Amino acid sequence: MDFSSELSDTLWDVVICGTGLPQSLLALSLSRSGKNILHIDPNDYYGSAEAAFSLQEADDWVARHSTTAASSTSVFKSASITKPENVVGLSFPRAYTLALAPQLIHARSELLSQLVSSRAYRQVEFLAVGSFFVFKPSSSPSLAPTLVRIPSTREDVFSTTAISAKAKRGLMKFLKFVVDYNSSPQTESWHPYADVPLVDFLREHFKMDAELQTYIITLTLSLDGRISTKDGLATIHRHLSSMGMLGPNFAAVYPKWGGISEIAQVSCRAGAVGGAVYMLGNGIKEMTVGENEISLELTSGDKVRTRRLFRGEGTGGDETGIGRLVAIISSPLKSLFEPTIEGAPKPGVAVIAFPTGSLASAGEADIDCPIYVLAHSSDTGECPIGQSVLYLTTLSSSDSKNTLHRALESMLIALDGEQQRPESLYHLYYEQAGSSMRSQQEDLIFGFPPPSLSLSFDDATLGPVREAWNVVMGEAGVGTDYMAFPDREGYVDDDEMYD
Amino acid sequence: MASDDSLPTLKILLIGPSGAGKSALLTRYCDDEFDPESSAATIGIDFKIKNLAVRGKAYRLTLFDTAGQERFRTLSTSFYRGAHGVLLVYDISSRASFKTMERWFTEAEANTVQGVALYLVGSKLDKAEHSREVSYEEAQALAREHNASFCEASAKTCENVRRPFVDIVDRIVLTPGLLAAARAGRASGTLAVGASGGAGTDGYLSGCAC
Repeated sequence: MDFSSELSDTLWDVVICGTGLPQSLLALSLSRSGKNILHIDPNDYYGSAEAAFSLQEADDWVARHSTTAASSTSVFKSASITKPENVVGLSFPRAYTLALAPQLIHARSELLSQLVSSRAYRQVEFLAVGSFFVFKPSSSPSLAPTLVRIPSTREDVFSTTAISAKAKRGLMKFLKFVVDYNSSPQTESWHPYADVPLVDFLREHFKMDAELQTYIITLTLSLDGRISTKDGLATIHRHLSSMGMLGPNFAAVYPKWGGISEIAQVSCRAGAVGGAVYMLGNGIKEMTVGENEISLELTSGDKVRTRRLFRGEGTGGDETGIGRLVAIISSPLKSLFEPTIEGAPKPGVAVIAFPTGSLASAGEADIDCPIYVLAHSSDTGECPIGQSVLYLTTLSSSDSKNTLHRALESMLIALDGEQQRPESLYHLYYEQAGSSMRSQQEDLIFGFPPPSLSLSFDDATLGPVREAWNVVMGEAGVGTDYMAFPDREGYVDDDEMYD
Repeated sequence: MASDDSLPTLKILLIGPSGAGKSALLTRYCDDEFDPESSAATIGIDFKIKNLAVRGKAYRLTLFDTAGQERFRTLSTSFYRGAHGVLLVYDISSRASFKTMERWFTEAEANTVQGVALYLVGSKLDKAEHSREVSYEEAQALAREHNASFCEASAKTCENVRRPFVDIVDRIVLTPGLLAAARAGRASGTLAVGASGGAGTDGYLSGCAC
């Protein structure tokens, strides 16, 4: 069959380039629109900057992103893989699915509502994000550091022995405040602090000690630890109001097999079911923008014409970026993934924070912003049973690789005492550029901003997808439900018997 | 009788090159329909459901078509997840179609769990007399190499249409551990995100007196 002529003979309504989350969600949103859609990606894998890789794919990816210079085409740089010597236990490459940009998704996120209303959620398996821990350095050289679990419910706050009775009262007072922080009289107390760091508000208004401040900041996952009072309260409110929404004792979920990557793939499948044509390993080489259509020459040599083009907008990477370290651990790290109350689902993800100033060691500068670790159990499908994957993130600096490795080692010491001493089997390090770019529309071309560096999914990502959908649908979109589809299931036949 | 939701669900994929007749086979098996004019890529079908009893026990089959993503070989890893069985379909009247099967086997083996039931199906058996380009023996040998079962079938005449589906289910249920392996994770912590009413909260915000 000659697909090339089909490609070039068609005047496409929409060409989408890239299979990151926004582009994939656009494909999903248009999957019942009857539009003629060609969806391509210059990479030979789905997910763009939110992809998930086997170890073999990670090798190939690192080879293309090892440069330390900022690039105009990729948000990633300085990628390297190291495998500690004399350590055995790494399984075969496809036994792993390492996520480039793992994110928690809060139960109240609009993304989950859209996945449910569009029926795409049926092909995604979600796990609970369980406990949040804070790393506590040892108080004397003879003692190991510890991980202290942040109490997640009222009962938890009362029963924990980790904080004093006075601190408990302070914590409860703050949590009650957050419940309706946006109404009077609460607003009067925080509005003067709106644009100053949340820690200042917690210290001055709630008289919280440093440890309690740390708990609250950890729940915000603020990368610099300096989140503003306005944003911080909104984030804590999202966390608390998500708690229990989808089941007891958890506030966020994580899609198995690589998080956002899986949602992108399932969305593209929905696009394909709706008739979109998919090509991977095929990007745009040349482009001519006419008055009513765009002519594209693809890297495959195919020439296509389209009414509109939707793509990612380069890097914009002048902003501070982050350093990421992915480590495969030889132990299931069971203590991180225990349900804390009866009836709660078994969590597949835990969060560990190294607060600012918690990683002092001889001859090394202490950290001046937090380090966050997303710990994934083998239930995520990202590693074999008996192992786990740790995703460490911190704001990038000239020393972030070294800092993340030190945090990893300290964390494994804190977790020693499991049946099997945890060791890291594999390290993948890279840096990702940030961006404050917004979506752009010029003539017939729409550009999505690069992905957010946030460790929890930011609903602001969904705005440009809706904008793009409006652009495609025009008048036809008015009065049409967005992302709301009936199931496509085939009917259920009578049983047939067979022996 | 038990409700359908309580039946053990098997995920079975149909893969293979464009034009091999995957959708025709699926439509004939599930709906007993055959449209000789329909050669366009399948649109709008995500998967079909068919209940089937094998060895006295009922199963719910979810049968996934490629949704056209075989054209440029862009099936995603997520498509293969949790599959218990894969039907690899080629056209016996097309040598070119058969020649791609080695790559389809490789892709299926790489993306599924160990012990997954593989089944090679030569379609368009009605064309055997006049335009067969792939011999039964040659295809059978390829299937053996990959520890796959094999048969030839015709969606047009209905010959052997049920056989690959019934046989692959039989093979799945007879493979120790396959049901559990492909379902791994379902039992441990997978959440019912869509089922939630989403009304209440617990934790800090619940009404416990304090």
